[in-house]
Amino acid sequence: MSTLAAAQDALLGAIFTPPQDGAAHARAQALTPLVHTPWQRGLATYRANAHASAERSLLAAYPVIAALIGEESFALMARDFWHQNPPSRGDLAQWGEALASFIADNSQLADVPYLADVARVEWALHRIAGARDAQADPASFALLSSVDPAELTLRLPPGSAVRVSDWPVASLVTAHLHGEPALEQVAARVQAREPENALVWRQGLRPCVRACSNAEAALMASLLDRQPLLAALDAALAADPAFDLASWLPAAVQQGLLLGAEPLEANAHPQKEPAA
Amino acid sequence: MLTATPLTFPIGRPPSRVPTVGIGWRHPHYAQLLQERPALDFIEVHSENFFAPGGAALAVLREGRAIYPVSLHGVGLSLGSAIGIDEWHLEQLARLVRDIDPVRVSDHASFARGRVAPHGDVHAADLLPVPFSTDALDVMCTNVQRVQDRLQRPIAVENLSAYLRWQGDAMSEPEFLTTLARRTGCQLLVDVNNIYVNARNDSLNDERNDPVAQCRQWLDAIAGAPVAEIHLAGHADCGDIVIDDHGSRVCTEVWSLYRHAIARFGAVPTLIEWDTDVPDLQVLLDEAALAREAAGEALAQGTAAPVSLMEAVT
Repeated sequence: MSTLAAAQDALLGAIFTPPQDGAAHARAQALTPLVHTPWQRGLATYRANAHASAERSLLAAYPVIAALIGEESFALMARDFWHQNPPSRGDLAQWGEALASFIADNSQLADVPYLADVARVEWALHRIAGARDAQADPASFALLSSVDPAELTLRLPPGSAVRVSDWPVASLVTAHLHGEPALEQVAARVQAREPENALVWRQGLRPCVRACSNAEAALMASLLDRQPLLAALDAALAADPAFDLASWLPAAVQQGLLLGAEPLEANAHPQKEPAA
Repeated sequence: MLTATPLTFPIGRPPSRVPTVGIGWRHPHYAQLLQERPALDFIEVHSENFFAPGGAALAVLREGRAIYPVSLHGVGLSLGSAIGIDEWHLEQLARLVRDIDPVRVSDHASFARGRVAPHGDVHAADLLPVPFSTDALDVMCTNVQRVQDRLQRPIAVENLSAYLRWQGDAMSEPEFLTTLARRTGCQLLVDVNNIYVNARNDSLNDERNDPVAQCRQWLDAIAGAPVAEIHLAGHADCGDIVIDDHGSRVCTEVWSLYRHAIARFGAVPTLIEWDTDVPDLQVLLDEAALAREAAGEALAQGTAAPVSLMEAVT
């Protein structure tokens, strides 16, 4: 390793190691001969900048988590997360996907058991905000009457996602983002441990989230895996034999959940956004 | 790709002797700027905020670009990193440059990428200083060249406000940047407030330092020809350290140094930056007007620009 690389890694190590960490002293010592004295205030400034960036950037992605645990706890969590899962890219909007598992593993947050699932929904919402733009092609739905449903699939807005949970995650998110349903209602659903699936999609430029049935969740998950419509329908019927595609379809198109129909061989890539 | 987008608003063309002046366009002013279309010569955005391939932010930037020239200012390329440029980052920037057709592309003479056990590659999301050493200069030249080769255009590289100084500098900061420009053909972005913040912090450690005199020397030492943009901003005096927070008006000393810079560099495009506690749009427009006024004064005085020793020999 070059001297320059070693010096840069020493400064990064000193910034990313939290002051209370056992390694902090050794890392500060490693920096001492490399920089002019005094350096303590400068290092503290860089660490404070980092913490502020971490809080700001996670708050943009996880406003509901922040509302649920409170500003102060959120700031502390953002700092811990920064030190334990540092960004690897120079665009902080890409950073933070691991927050859900960080929350799940955090014993201090164990009394809010639905938090990790809420984080998974919020990350999907955060990512879809910047997903590729795609145009709807309403005329393509005519294929539904001319092509075998085993040979075609339905196209969803890029970045769409389904999050299955044992908790009322969709209600928790929409209550905080849109004031619907009322918080008392959500509290009752949490109390009753009502499971919900959250469906995330985009209407034009606007990210959307709502609760969806098990049948709809199974259908959308199949379509996101680029399964044929027939297989997706089978998955929906397995979840709920009463699922009625004919009545679901027009409503889904109207909500912008479906952009069009297309023969399967036309476009073989899966609809899931590639991993960031 | 935006091509030949007609300007739908008659942007005030300044007399040729006055620099073009722009403001940093931040989220609180997205809608208002598009609606009111104030007379500005360009707007500046942080490139990384528009790396997403689609969505509302990019749509807004395209609308802004239809009205104003855009200066794309990066904060994350990490031009000084010994481990090199992140290919992913460069690819996103190249796509944005093709899309927006910016008037200038810039980033900083800083590093943020490196390796920290047990995490592996990390990005500190900050503008960390590099030593002014021959090693660091070689690394930065290689990285700048790689970016320019990919973008097929020169980029402008900005001086930092630094809160740490490395041991073992082999040259001054102006010499480092001047040589960088000479070796890579890159442009320079001179942030007058950053020079002043550094000088103020130096004077906290050594009372004999006169910050304004130190800044004038800095401005006189750097090559003038590559300077493609000047940044002006406010800073915060915390008592034991001065922080470049872009959260207030440009201070009197920095205005005076700006006049000195314009007298020396000529009518270089000038940006008002404000990133913390962003005020009403009108405050930024007032600062932009002050910049035009200050530049006009400096140019009218016709001060013969002192030729630096560096420039004379390079």
